[in-house]
Amino acid sequence: MDRPAPGRHDERFETRRPRRFLPNLLVPIDLRDGEPTPPSLFALAEGRRVAHVAGVTVYAIAMSDRDLDGAVVAQLGRAGADKVLLCEGAALGAPPLDATHGPALLAAVERISPLLVLFPAGGAGLALGPTLAARLGAAFAGLADIEVATSGPLPEGVGRVYLRRWRAGRSAYRRLDPVEIERPVVAILGAGVLDRPVGGEGIDVEVIACAPPKESPVTELASEPDPAAQVPTSRVLVIVDPSLGAEARSRLAADAPEGVAVVDREAAAAAIAASAPEIVIVVGDADLPSLGTPRGRVGAILLGDATTPPARGIDVLWRVPATLAGEALWSEIAGALTAVASRRSP
Amino acid sequence: MTTTGALNLLVCLRAPPPQVEGDALGRADALALAHAFALAGDRHTVTALLGGISVEEGPLRVALAAGADRAVRVAADDLTGADFHTIGQVLAIAIRRIGGDLVLTGVRSDDEGLGAAPAAIARHLGAPFIPCVEQIALAPGETRAVEVVTRGGGRLRRLRAKLPAVLSVAAGPAASATRRKRAGDAPAIEVIPLSDPESTVVRRRTELLGRLEPASRGVETVTSAAALVAALDRR
Repeated sequence: MDRPAPGRHDERFETRRPRRFLPNLLVPIDLRDGEPTPPSLFALAEGRRVAHVAGVTVYAIAMSDRDLDGAVVAQLGRAGADKVLLCEGAALGAPPLDATHGPALLAAVERISPLLVLFPAGGAGLALGPTLAARLGAAFAGLADIEVATSGPLPEGVGRVYLRRWRAGRSAYRRLDPVEIERPVVAILGAGVLDRPVGGEGIDVEVIACAPPKESPVTELASEPDPAAQVPTSRVLVIVDPSLGAEARSRLAADAPEGVAVVDREAAAAAIAASAPEIVIVVGDADLPSLGTPRGRVGAILLGDATTPPARGIDVLWRVPATLAGEALWSEIAGALTAVASRRSP
Repeated sequence: MTTTGALNLLVCLRAPPPQVEGDALGRADALALAHAFALAGDRHTVTALLGGISVEEGPLRVALAAGADRAVRVAADDLTGADFHTIGQVLAIAIRRIGGDLVLTGVRSDDEGLGAAPAAIARHLGAPFIPCVEQIALAPGETRAVEVVTRGGGRLRRLRAKLPAVLSVAAGPAASATRRKRAGDAPAIEVIPLSDPESTVVRRRTELLGRLEPASRGVETVTSAAALVAALDRR
């Protein structure tokens, strides 16, 4: 990514570099009913944002049991992909697992030797990201933001990509520069929504035929729609203390706009663990789960003793006397949530 | 697996952060241990495993007191400074020696909060890895498989995994669950030295090569829900 000149991918430059350091950025796309999820398009757009400055080529990797629809390819192009790699195989239409999808992803990754692999929020990152990093000997950033450094000993207009993630306990950020640590970085990005096209529709699709594993150690016995499916891909996640009662959660969820998920902290623990929201709001207490990225924002509505110190990592705090817990308070919060900016994919 | 068909369920615990005083078990680790106890009943064995130094044995003592059959510490003096590749390799070496069938971990069990160590363990064991599991049961009619419930791709799925397997646990039984009362005193914590000539651990600090930056963000106090949302959604 130390490029002599800014701009897009340069084949002449590529042939002069060791294969391991090809300036490629990969985004594995999560498809739901054949459509890319909003965080997938956002991840591509984030890749495109840094590609202009750091000179990387953005690849979208889709894994499916059938050919990609032309409209989907165009959508990936508008979101910022330079090229699409389609891993096509019989078992790849199911939700991703390392046992079924890991070999196909590795085949794609070995073909283009990426410096960065950015999984979208709420998708295959948890299942495939750590195992891919383990196989590549790469660094792994669980929930990260991608940034570009343009200062330092760099020509004007040239930047270097790095990733930022929280350490456990939100005590500090960790900054990972793949050039500095001399190995690729695999990361899961925070959720977001692409609100305007950033690329063109005319992009190439390369198909990799993937044979299913001969004997998978993991087999599916049953599958049904996940009632909490929208939680991991939500841009805004409201986490409600279960001690406030089911009525509080129901009331807050009733008018929540698109992209806002309201969940019970205990009942939705697994969905919360798979989430990477841009904005987190905890309601009831400060038992803050370890999620979100450094660029994300955390709010807390704390009920009770005003002397209780807020948990580390809270950006905005509203203290409310416990005696006010009830319908009027839930209505006020629900009303405020409707003001969360609505963003739709183009 | 033993000759009687009993399984050895291994629970990987993380060493407590330096600021934690006394014996404590992380929330995610407690959940993994509760799953192991629920699965094991009286038939199968639960072994708690931790890599670290002797002063970090607190979680192992908690696991023994809660009903674990064995507690094993891999003697490693600087795992807090190692990356997930090394942690996975160290624990996999120990698991091979102990002979684990099912490995359970918290969903984010390493000190950096990445949730990547279980994948590294699976890679070094050559076992399948399933993250964010919510329910686990022994597969009916089979002694070498489990059935798990997990979410992904908008689906709630029930999967069968052959053993050995590595699962990270995101939800499940009450984390405070304990097992039956043990007759007699708890067994001593066993120690596996890393100096075992059969084991070669390549120590790397992939993550720690990254720079650390202070998280210097103040707290903004507001007086209404609308102000809170506006402050958070500011762009």
